[in-house]
Amino acid sequence: MGPIQIQSFCTPDEIQRYRFDPQFTIHAQYKSIYTKQETLVQHAESTLANVVLALTEDRQIVGFGVFSHPDEDDRWAELEPGIMMEIKAIEVSRRFRSCKIAGDLLRLMLSHPTVEQMIAYMVGYSWTWDLDGSGLTVHQYRNMLIHLFSPHQFFELQTNEANICLKPENLFMARVGSHVSSQIRQDFKLLRFGITI
Amino acid sequence: MRYPKECVLKDCREVVIRPLEPGDRVLLDAFHTQIPESNRWLMNYNVMDATVMDNWFASVEKGNIACILSLYDNCVVGQASLYMRNFGATSHVGRFRITVLPEFREKRLGTWLLLDLTQTAMDHGLEILRADLAGDIENDAIGALKKFDFFKYAELEKSIKDYSGNHHDLVIMIKHLHKRWSDF
Repeated sequence: MGPIQIQSFCTPDEIQRYRFDPQFTIHAQYKSIYTKQETLVQHAESTLANVVLALTEDRQIVGFGVFSHPDEDDRWAELEPGIMMEIKAIEVSRRFRSCKIAGDLLRLMLSHPTVEQMIAYMVGYSWTWDLDGSGLTVHQYRNMLIHLFSPHQFFELQTNEANICLKPENLFMARVGSHVSSQIRQDFKLLRFGITI
Repeated sequence: MRYPKECVLKDCREVVIRPLEPGDRVLLDAFHTQIPESNRWLMNYNVMDATVMDNWFASVEKGNIACILSLYDNCVVGQASLYMRNFGATSHVGRFRITVLPEFREKRLGTWLLLDLTQTAMDHGLEILRADLAGDIENDAIGALKKFDFFKYAELEKSIKDYSGNHHDLVIMIKHLHKRWSDF
């Protein structure tokens, strides 16, 4: 398959110069998180966002990660602006799975200059997981995600956010930066349970 | 590490959820004494009997029971127990019961215990979760289970007696733990 280059903080211009692996598409029982290259470009245009790409020698995107602000109407946007950052996407083309690319994508997404001042989080909705392509059960896939994120100081946390609570196998994990104040940590805890004081 | 889990209740009190540990006997006994007798009656075994609890702890050790506790101020305020048969025709079914102290009810603590218990059941590879509840008396619990995809599998009319000797329906609630999504 040849060497894979992982590149962080990709600019919109750079992304447009690459080719998007056609495997990022609608499969029989799975739809890729992003099926259009333009979506990555749009994310890269956002301030502070970190779009990380896995590229083949012939400049094809075979993996991507997007680390960006929560959407405005998300519960997680209610904390001070800039504090919460979401791992919005992490996906590797089916034919490059099991090459340990996802771990590198995650590591570079978090190589953000202000990562210790922020709360990075991920939401795992089980209905978005590629069970068909991975051959895993829902429970195994969930454990795989925990295994992927835990080495990067992400912890599984409880929340009553309605979409996450829809299924017990859904997952919410967060990494609280070492410079996040105790007040913000407390606010985050209350926010997780929908309590505003 | 999955545990301990922090949960904030509706009234802003913070509880911790974690599995039962071998040294929790005193805490659990204290919890049981605070449960109203009419509720203890529905637990199907006499938690006030030391021999019964010796056997119960032995079953936990053997892996036939998985128990999760919720603690507030280092006191047990809620308990979820999953009963498993590790052999035979019903080894894929887990029965469970959740008990919460009266002052911690209607604050979503039962829901947190249920979510955790469901994940524990999945960890054990179970395929069906089953709860036997008393109609009328435990309607709140029945309603809460329905919100988590449990359905009424059977209702045995007037087949259980409450602490005062009144008959109630036995409601069997079931949830299937799916390993994969359907093709729909």
